[in-house]
Amino acid sequence: MFLQFLWFALVGLSVLYGCLNGHIGDLLPAALSGTGNAISVTLNLAAGYLFFCGLMEIVKALGLPKTLSRWLKPGLKLLMPKLKDDEALCAVTMNLSANMLGLGNAATPYGIAAANRLDVLSESASHSRQALYMLLILNATSIQLLPTTVLTLRIAAGSTNPNLILMPSLVSSAVSTVVGVLLGLLLAKRTEAHHGV
Amino acid sequence: MAYDLIWLILLLLLPGIALLRRLPVYDLFVTGAKEGLRVALQILPNLAAMLVAVSLMEATGLTAFLCRICAPVLTWLGLPAEIAPLVALRPLSGSAALAVLEQLLNQYGADSRIGLLASVAMGSSETIFYTVCVYLSSCKDRRTGYAIPCALAGMIAGLWTAGRFWR
Repeated sequence: MFLQFLWFALVGLSVLYGCLNGHIGDLLPAALSGTGNAISVTLNLAAGYLFFCGLMEIVKALGLPKTLSRWLKPGLKLLMPKLKDDEALCAVTMNLSANMLGLGNAATPYGIAAANRLDVLSESASHSRQALYMLLILNATSIQLLPTTVLTLRIAAGSTNPNLILMPSLVSSAVSTVVGVLLGLLLAKRTEAHHGV
Repeated sequence: MAYDLIWLILLLLLPGIALLRRLPVYDLFVTGAKEGLRVALQILPNLAAMLVAVSLMEATGLTAFLCRICAPVLTWLGLPAEIAPLVALRPLSGSAALAVLEQLLNQYGADSRIGLLASVAMGSSETIFYTVCVYLSSCKDRRTGYAIPCALAGMIAGLWTAGRFWR
C-alpha cells in the first residue's frame, strides 16, 4: 500500500507545484519523456543484468556463496550471540553471503526463511527477536561488495572511469553497516536488560 | 587500477576454475542471463511509473524546490544539494532512486562530483523499508522493533562518509 501513496504523493505534488508556477503545459511532455526514458534505461540495465547474472551463475555453481557463508559463521556469533539454532544460522549466513556477492535474487528466499525461523523461535526465546532485528539491519544497510547496477548506469552515461566509485562505495557501506550493527547490539542489550532475560 | 583485477578474476579466473572442474560455463552463463532478462523485463514498468513521477518533479520545479529545502542537511553531510531527491527516495523505493540516479548522471555527467557522489550514495545504501517489509512478509509477528531506526542511522553515517570523498 505504501508505494501507492509514495507514487501519488510525488506525482500529485509535482502537478500542484507545476500549476502554481504555470508549468501545466509541461506535464504531458515530461510524463512521456519519463516513460520513454524508462525504455532506454531498461535497455542499459538489461545489458548489465544479462552480463552480471550470467557471470554470477558461474560464481554460484562454483559454490562461492556456500564457502563465504562458512567464513561468515564465526563473525555472526558476535552479532547474534545467543543464537544456537543451526537452521536459522545457516539461512542467515547464506542470505548474507549471497547479498555480499550481489546475488539479490538468490539472497531473498534465504532471508525470508531466516526471518521466518527466527520469528518462530522468538515465541519461546526473546533473544531470537533481537537476532531477527540484526538480520534486518544487516540487510537494510547494504553489504554488497560490487554495486553492479550503479556501474552499469555509469558506463551507459559515458563515464571514463566507472570504477572510481568502488572504493568509496565499499567504505561508505562498511561504515553504514558498522554503525547500524553497533546501534543494534546496544539496543538489543538494553531490550534484554529491560525484560530481565 | 587495483579494481581492474576484479574483472580479471570474474572473467578469467572464475570461469577458468569452473571449466577445470568440468562445469558447463557457457550453459551456466546462459541460464544466469535468462534470469537477468527476467529481472530487466520486471523492472521496466516499475521504472516507467517512477520515471513519470521523477520527470514531473523535475519539469515542474519541485525537484529544485526540494533541493533548496534539503540543502542545509546535505551540506551538513558534506554532499551536494542536487542529490537530495536520491537520498530522500533511496530508503523508500529502489526504482525511484534508480530513476533519479540516471537523471543526475545524465544531467551533470557521471564523472562530475555530483555524479560520483550520487553513485556512491546509491551503491552504499539499501531500500530499507522495502527490504524490511519483504523479509517480514511471512512472519507471524511483523513488528520491526529498532531495526529501521538503526538502518536509517547507518545510512546517514554512510552518506556522511561518502561526503568525505572528492572534497
